[in-house]
Amino acid sequence: MTAADVSAPAAARRMQLRAGRGWLALPTTGFLVAVLIVPLVLIGLYSVDLMTNLVGVPTGFSVANWSEFLPPGDNVFFNRFETSILITLLVSVLAVLGAYPIAYFLAFVARRRRYTLLMLVLAPFFTSYLLRVIAWKVVLDNNGVVNSALWQLGLRHHGDGISWLIYSWFSVALVLFYSWVPFVALPIYVVLENLDTRLLEAAQDLGGGRLHVFRRITLPLSLPGVIAAFVFVLIPTTGEFIAPLLVGGPGSYMFGNSIQSFFSETPNWNYGAVLAVWLIAIVLVLLVLFGRFLSAGFKEARA
Amino acid sequence: MTVAAGRLGRALLGSYFAALVVFLYVPLVVLVVFSFDDSTIQTLPYSGFTTHWFRSAFSNGDLISAIERSAVIGALCALGATLLGLTTAVGLTARKLALRGVVTALVLLPLVVPYVVLAVGMLILLNSLGLHQALWAVLLGHVAVAVPYSILIILPRLRTLDEDIVDAARDLGASGFVAFRRITLPLIVPALFSSALIAFTISFDEFAIASFLVPAGKETYPVYVYAGARTPALEPQIIAIGAVVIVASLVIVTAAEALRLRAERRLTQA
Repeated sequence: MTAADVSAPAAARRMQLRAGRGWLALPTTGFLVAVLIVPLVLIGLYSVDLMTNLVGVPTGFSVANWSEFLPPGDNVFFNRFETSILITLLVSVLAVLGAYPIAYFLAFVARRRRYTLLMLVLAPFFTSYLLRVIAWKVVLDNNGVVNSALWQLGLRHHGDGISWLIYSWFSVALVLFYSWVPFVALPIYVVLENLDTRLLEAAQDLGGGRLHVFRRITLPLSLPGVIAAFVFVLIPTTGEFIAPLLVGGPGSYMFGNSIQSFFSETPNWNYGAVLAVWLIAIVLVLLVLFGRFLSAGFKEARA
Repeated sequence: MTVAAGRLGRALLGSYFAALVVFLYVPLVVLVVFSFDDSTIQTLPYSGFTTHWFRSAFSNGDLISAIERSAVIGALCALGATLLGLTTAVGLTARKLALRGVVTALVLLPLVVPYVVLAVGMLILLNSLGLHQALWAVLLGHVAVAVPYSILIILPRLRTLDEDIVDAARDLGASGFVAFRRITLPLIVPALFSSALIAFTISFDEFAIASFLVPAGKETYPVYVYAGARTPALEPQIIAIGAVVIVASLVIVTAAEALRLRAERRLTQA
C-alpha cells in the first residue's frame, strides 16, 4: 500500500488519525533509559573514579585506571583484549565461510524443501545456549566422547587424551563457531534468495563459466548479507564469557571473563568499569564501521 | 537451477549441507544419549541404560525451585516485553514522532550492548540505590534484552496491515482504542504469540545477566545448571534435565513455527 494509490483526502484523514500515537513509544523509552542508559552512565562514572562501591574510599576524578589499562605499557587485560578480539574475528570469519555454502545450497539447490531444511539448520540455535556448551563439554572432555572413542578404537593409549581438545582456544572457538553458524546462514540466505537470477543466466549466456559467474555476479551481490552475518557474530562475541568458563581455561579466557571476574570476584569495580567502557567503545566503533550493512540486512530481511 | 551449480557442485553442496547438519545435531544427540548412561562420568564405553538421573533430577528440590523461578520470570518477561514491544511498535508507526531516530536507536540498543556490560551496569545501579541482588532485577534485565526482539517481530506485521480496514472501522464510529482492539489486535495475534514465545525463551535460558543479579540461594534455572555442570556429583542430573529441555524446545520451536506459518497464511488469504 503506497500513498499514490489512495485518494488525497482519504490519505490526509488517515494521516490525521495516525498522528497522535507516538506517545506509545514513551514507556519503553523511559524503561530503557532507567535500566540501560543510567547504568551505562554509572559505569562511565566508575571508570574515572567519580563513584565507587568501596565504603569509605573518597571519590574524585582520576584517569589512573585508564592510564594503567591503555598502551603504552604491558597490561595483562589489554593483552587479553587483543587476543580475545583476534579470536572473535577468526570465529566471525569462519562462521560466515561455514554458513555461505549452506545459504547457497538452500537458495539455489534445495528447491521445494528449502523452508523445512532451513528450519532444520536453525532449530539448534533456538535451544539453550548454555546446554549446547555443556553438550560440547561432554564431547570434548578429557574422558569425553572423542577421547574415549579414540581409546576404544585403540588409536591412542587409554587415559592419554588430546590435550588441546578442551580448556583451550580450540574448544572455545569451536563452540562459538558451532553456536553461530546456523544463525549466520540466515542473512546470507535472504540475500541470495532475493537475487535476480536473470543476471546469472545473462552472464552465463554471455559465456561466463559457473565459477566465473559466482565470482563476478553472485558473490559481489551477496556481500551485504555476508557483512551483516559477520557483524551478527562479531558484536555479541566481543563480550562473550560463558563458553570460556565451561570449555576454556584461564589460558583461554576472553575479555568478557576479565570484566566478569572484576565484578564478581574482586571489590575493584572501578577497574572493571574501565574494561566495560572499553568494550562498549569497541562495539560502538564496530557499529559505526558496519552499522549501515546491518540496516541493509534488516531491510533485505523485511523485503 | 543449473546456472548456480552444476552436477558436481550440487553434490558437493548437498554433502556439505548434510555434514553440517550432523555437526549441529551430534552434541545434542550425545547429551540425550548420556542422559541415560548409568555412570557419573560421561565416557565410552557406555556403562548401561538407566532412567535414574531423570528421577533424581526431578526429585531435586533445588533444581525444581530454580526451574519454577525461571518459569515465572520467563512468563512475566514474555508479558512485559510483548506489552512494551506492542506499544512501541504502534508508537513507531505514528506519522510524526519527535526524535524518531533517537527512539529507534534506543529501543534497538539492547541488541548490541554486551550482556556482561548491561549486567555490571545494573549491578552498579542496584548498589548505588542501596539495593541488593534480586529476582526482580533479573526480570528487568531480561525484559530490556527481549524488548527489541518483540518490536522487530510486531512492527513488520503492523506495517503489512491494511490500514483501510482500521479507517473503515473509525468511519463507522469506532474510537481509536475500539478499532485497535477489534480490528488491529486480532490480526497481529500470531506476531504477539511469537513475541511472547521468543521473550520467554530468551529469559528462561539467560545466564549472563542472571549470574550477576540473582540473590544467593535463589538461583534461576540457567545459573543452577551452570553451577551443576561444574559439580561432578550434580552433572548427570544436569545432563538429564538438559536432555529434556533440548528435546522439548526442539519440539516447541518446530510446532510453533508450523502453527505460525499456518496462521499467517490463513490471515493473508482471508
